[in-house]
Parts: sequence; C-alpha cells; structure tokens
Amino acid sequence: MSLLSIAADITVPATATANAQPPAPATAAPVPAASTPAPTSSAPAGFNAVDDRTQMQSGEALLIEAYIAIWVLLFAFVVIAWLRTRRVEDKVAELEKAIERAKVAAPIPTTKRSASEPPLEPEKG
Amino acid sequence: MKTSDRAFLALVACTAASTLIALYWIGFRTPNEATMGAVYKIFYFHAPAGYAMYIGAGCCFLGSAGYLYKGSQGWDSFAKAGADVAVVMGAVLMTTGPLWGAKAWGTYWTWDPRLTTSLLSVLIYVSYVVLRQFTGGGEGEKKFAAALGILGAANLPIIHYSVRKWGGTHPQVVTGKGGGLSHPDMKISLLLGFVSFTLLAATLVWLRMRQDRVVARLDEAEEEAMQLGVLED
Repeated sequence: MSLLSIAADITVPATATANAQPPAPATAAPVPAASTPAPTSSAPAGFNAVDDRTQMQSGEALLIEAYIAIWVLLFAFVVIAWLRTRRVEDKVAELEKAIERAKVAAPIPTTKRSASEPPLEPEKG
Repeated sequence: MKTSDRAFLALVACTAASTLIALYWIGFRTPNEATMGAVYKIFYFHAPAGYAMYIGAGCCFLGSAGYLYKGSQGWDSFAKAGADVAVVMGAVLMTTGPLWGAKAWGTYWTWDPRLTTSLLSVLIYVSYVVLRQFTGGGEGEKKFAAALGILGAANLPIIHYSVRKWGGTHPQVVTGKGGGLSHPDMKISLLLGFVSFTLLAATLVWLRMRQDRVVARLDEAEEEAMQLGVLED
C-alpha cells in the first residue's frame, strides 16, 4: 500500500490540520521510546496535505480580475492628474491676465538694470 | 471644453478600452504555453513594455534634437516627458523580465547581452531624469540634458540587435526563432499588448508634457508678477 493511499484514507479534523507541524527531518535525534506512546495506526505522523479539494473559483480568473482593477485605478489616476493639470492651467491663465492688466496700468521699463550696475542717483531739484 | 482636452480624453478612453480588451484576451482567451504554463503570459506585457520604452526614448531623442535646433520650451518638455515614460516602461520591463527568467532559466538575472544593454539604457534615462530634477532650469542645463537625450538613444539599436549579433540566452520570440506564439490567440494577445502599451505611452507623454509646460508658464508668470508687484514673495 502506498503512502498516498494511506493518507487518503485518513480524515483529519480541520483544527488538527491547521495546527499540524511539518514532519521532522530524517536526521533528527530519536526520542526515547518510554516517553512517547506508540502510534495506534500505521499512518505516517505529521502534516498531511489535503490535495483533493475542489476549487470554488478559478485562481487565474481572480488574478486577471485583480489586474483589471489595477489598470482601472491607473486610468482613474491619469484622469485625476489631467483634471488637476487643467485646474493649474486655469489659475496660470488668471495670473497671466492679472499681469497683463498690471502692465497696462503701470508699464515696466523695457531695459532692466543688472545687480552689478551702480544704483541710480536720485534726481535733484 | 477645448479641442485638445477632448482629444486627450478620447486618447485615454481608447487606451483604457484597448488595455481592458488585451487583459481579457490574455487572461481568458489565450491558452497557456505548454512548457511554461501561465507564467508565459508575462510575455504579453514584457515585450510591449520594452517597445513602449523605445517610444519614450524616441520622444526624448526627438525633443532633445528639436530643442538644440530650435531652443523652444515645447521641445524641451517633449524630451523630458519622453525620458519619464522611458524610465516607467523600463521599470516594467526590468520587473517582468526577471520574473519570466526565474521560471524559464531558473535565475532572475544573467549578464546576457540584451539584458545588460537594456539595463544600461534604463540607467541612462534614470540619470537624465535625475539630472533634470536636481539641476536648475537654465539654458546650459537644458542643453547638457539634450545632449544626454541624444546620446542615450544610441544604445537603442544596440539592444535590438544584441540578440542577433552576440546571441545569449534571451529568446527571439517575436521573430519566431525563440519558440512560442504558435497559437493564433497568442499572436492576437501580443498585438493587443503592443497597441495598448503604445497608446499608454502616448497618453503618459502627452500628460507629462502638458504638466511640464504649465509649470514653465507658471514660473515665468510668477517672475513677471513679482516684478510688477502683482505677487508678493
């Protein structure tokens, strides 16, 4: 009888499966026989994976749905970034209009003096 | 709403639609590859991401050349936007490639000619972005960055022909010598991937360029406003 067929015959409670420990390595020190009770069945000790579960949902489909959600969020981000850019553009346009109005009210001199030039003498009289 | 705004929204809608169709096709219509299984589907994002990196790098090259020739802000913004997209798509390329390689070759990374030249290209565009971020917006800095944008593009044909010239472990899947794409749905998936990533690159370049131009306009307006006393410090 193979190990797999033995494992298939054993029903382990859910709590026992969740708390089960992995099998000890082959090189582990042997425990004295007096301190441990002898196994009552021929089943191997340790964790037995349940490999005959039926999938409730396709994992691949869920993966693709997750990808779709990420991409939808990405496009939402692009649209939000565009809306914010438009808002800034509107504010800049307002500022440019204010500058034009200020220019009309008080035209600035066309030639600018550099910082290295000496300051202008105040006009006398 | 302005015509440019309508055009941009139409582009975003087309990009979103093509991406969702591509995801559906890749996920639900295309069969798994016989030896690699579901991991092979990374390829439908990996190759288009590499292609989109070329698009970003091409925009950076054109913008840089245009800036050196004309000296206008628009060309400079185009170059900056292209470099940003090249870095983003390069990051996608450099993330998906090792994941695929781990399954196909048993290692995340190998110093294969195509991998090495691709990494070099991504690093060139990262250096371009860092340069633009941490230097001023003066004429000299812009010209230096434009020179880097032009020189950086010189590596792109080397990436493309490195597999043919020097061999290596990286397959030539698209040209049919590396295996794969045997099913018609696989070819459609790859085509959809290319279409969606091209549109995505165009969307991101447009958005990034527009943001850069508005920042430049704002800087000019602020300076002028302070001279006129419209704005306080």
